[in-house]
Amino acid sequence: MTDDVKLAWLFTRGSERREWWRFGLTAVGAFCAAGFAAAAAALASLRGGVYRIPYAEGLFDRPGERAGVVLALLLLLIPTLGFLGQCARIGAVHRDRRMAGLRLAGASPLRVRRIAALETGLACLAGAVPAALVVGAAVLGVGAPPALLWAAVASAVLLVPVAGALVSVVALRRVVASPLGGVRRERRTAGRGTALTGVAVVGGAILLGILGVAYAGRLGLDAPLVLFVAFLLVGLGAVWVSGSFARLTGRRLAGRAENPAVLIAAERLRDDPWAAARTHAAVLLLTVVATGYTGVRQALMDDLLAAGSYPPESLDFYVTGLDLTAAAVGIGLLITLAAVAVGAAEGIAARRQGLAGQVAAGVPRRVLSRALLLETALPLAPAVALAAVGGLAIGTFYATAVGGGLTLPWTALPVPFAVYGTCLLAAATAMPLLRRTVRPTELRHD
Amino acid sequence: MSATTEPLLAARDLVKAHGRTDALRGASAELHAGEVLAVTGPSGSGKSTLLHCMAGILRPDGGSVHYEGLRLDTCTEDRLSALRRTDFGVVFQFGQLIPELTLTDNVALPLMLAGTSRREARARAGEWLGRFGVGDRADARPGELSGGQAQRGALARALVTGPRVVFADEPTGALDSLAGEQVMTELVSAARASGAAVLLVTHDARVAAYADREIRLADGRAAVTEGAV
Amino acid sequence: MSTRHILLGLLSSGPSHGYDLKRRHDERFPQARPLAYGQVYTTLQRLVRDALAEVEGTDSDGGPERTVYRATEDGERELARWAGETAPPAPFVANEIFAKVVVAILSGGDPAAYLLRQRDAHMARMRELTKVKTTPGADLATVLSADYALSHLDADLRWMTTTADRLSTLTAEVTAR
Repeated sequence: MTDDVKLAWLFTRGSERREWWRFGLTAVGAFCAAGFAAAAAALASLRGGVYRIPYAEGLFDRPGERAGVVLALLLLLIPTLGFLGQCARIGAVHRDRRMAGLRLAGASPLRVRRIAALETGLACLAGAVPAALVVGAAVLGVGAPPALLWAAVASAVLLVPVAGALVSVVALRRVVASPLGGVRRERRTAGRGTALTGVAVVGGAILLGILGVAYAGRLGLDAPLVLFVAFLLVGLGAVWVSGSFARLTGRRLAGRAENPAVLIAAERLRDDPWAAARTHAAVLLLTVVATGYTGVRQALMDDLLAAGSYPPESLDFYVTGLDLTAAAVGIGLLITLAAVAVGAAEGIAARRQGLAGQVAAGVPRRVLSRALLLETALPLAPAVALAAVGGLAIGTFYATAVGGGLTLPWTALPVPFAVYGTCLLAAATAMPLLRRTVRPTELRHD
Repeated sequence: MSATTEPLLAARDLVKAHGRTDALRGASAELHAGEVLAVTGPSGSGKSTLLHCMAGILRPDGGSVHYEGLRLDTCTEDRLSALRRTDFGVVFQFGQLIPELTLTDNVALPLMLAGTSRREARARAGEWLGRFGVGDRADARPGELSGGQAQRGALARALVTGPRVVFADEPTGALDSLAGEQVMTELVSAARASGAAVLLVTHDARVAAYADREIRLADGRAAVTEGAV
Repeated sequence: MSTRHILLGLLSSGPSHGYDLKRRHDERFPQARPLAYGQVYTTLQRLVRDALAEVEGTDSDGGPERTVYRATEDGERELARWAGETAPPAPFVANEIFAKVVVAILSGGDPAAYLLRQRDAHMARMRELTKVKTTPGADLATVLSADYALSHLDADLRWMTTTADRLSTLTAEVTAR
């Protein structure tokens, strides 16, 4: 085992810059994930009762609001996990080759898996430990916490590296199986069936969410947990929907595209629709939450300000709660955008030899960067539209319930457009990489 | 090919460094219209760098490249891209076909970039694929082709625009000897039929023997020029 | 290369006279050194002496009178034996280029310059052979015999390249003895 740790360390140290990027960004992702998870665990461990917690205008004092905060933290985990998944793909080609090389050199599959798991696990641990320190410091600032809280925090922090290691083992399953590595990409066949499955999963998740809120108390379940699972399912379903959209768009456009950039983008989507879908799931989830939140906020604020029945302290309390939610949505957006940018950058880096060949053959960089942007933009548009409808439905439902009579929360309307726009901008930030990495020196055969 | 006519493409005293290593140290070469010129030399002698500079893919650090009165080494990137689409064709060892596109679309792409309609571009691509004997693989993607078939597709893509110069960098490097001989025969005969000049970089004497003339590079300089036929 | 076996082989497809044999030989083995008529004649005489071939008769066909030969049964047997036998792979290394390099070193000449000139000569011949085999309509026999020569020239070239890179060591070795 110590030998494996040494090997994993050697590989990490000797690897090139791109792999350091993976290590660094994975650690950042793990920091966020462990932080959110530990904070959620710490708050959830305070069973019942009222505490005096001097943060955020006393938002953490009562169990009802604490449940809401726990849910928000758990929801933030979803884009964070998506981001971690994207990070695992940086320099993946090189890692796969190295692992295949290890197999060729005679390492058993088990050993290769262990080394890969250790590499990722160490990176995650490097992020999770500082997160634990931050959460621990915040807890100590309040007072002497019960032992249960520490146990909850510790398990949350340990869970992140373990999960990261498991994910990397799963991702490497094809490479590990053969010493020649996963050179040939398997063609996954997915058709209308999976799209329907995706829609069914999303529908089921929404139903579960509604039922969870309505009946969780009676069944003795934690409402935040049920909602978290529901949103996780929405995310999974969104991957399916987005992937199927990507495949469909790709097939449709590839046949009739007149523009070279559209043709290239369409064929890439048809070839590997899931590559884009992985990041898009978080985007879609975020669109639902952000659109819904904006609608709910408008309705709630109207109610708070108009009624005049709330004393100023209590008004502060609600506004702080809303602002904190806004901050959470903003953090989620930032993490998601980072994942989109990382995904786009990795897409360029992994294909840089082929792209260099295209540039050398006279395909203008303009056309290539347009194709890369279209790869993000094409499948995202219908998916975001769908998610926006969902979010608006939530907002309208809430506003109607609060205000009596059908109310459309108009402030939520620009939200999906803003999400879509910022996603394209995030993808566009990877474009300078096209100029920097796609160079004729890539064409040299060694 | 008399030596008195103006060369179609001329590189003079090219200097180019990759990081700290000098790839070219004053290399010169001339390519005349319609001729096949081989650039040979041991690995690391700067063959590919010379080709990249002459094709306007790389900018030399010193020296000049003239193509029909145009200075490629000081030209704008857009002009160079346009030139590579219209006047030049390139064939590499591998990798110039987009893996996600069908063979036909790969060959049609340069025409589409020049504004030809998809239908027209695909029709002309089909003709070229037929000429190189891979018409039956038109709807296959590069991953499903043998090395020889993929290189024939690459030849079709390089020649479909009717270029005046074809740049071939180790075009048979990834092929077995029979497939290599066939690809070379097809490249040279197609270039001669359409009047295109070929700049052929290779380390293999048997491939270089397809040329009319040979330039040998050693240590980044053109050491010997020989063999006008 | 055994001329007698090749002539026997050509005879095995049917009786033939000397001039016809020469013509068919040159046609069947393009790029090979053409047979001299005198050589065909003496070889046929020896085949008759060894009872591997015999005179079938004469044939005038309007022109000058010609002797027609055919293979005997012994001849057929000998031919089958020879065709099935492996050719001895390079029993003696006869390398004129190497001899010239060593002589150049011994006599204080410039072996490097010689190797460069030899390389150019080889390349010129390779270009010539490549032209021959890529001429539209070239038959497979032409292509294969050109390929055979090209492979050997290519092997010579590789040998010359590695030798040129090691000339100083060779010079030290040759002059030390």
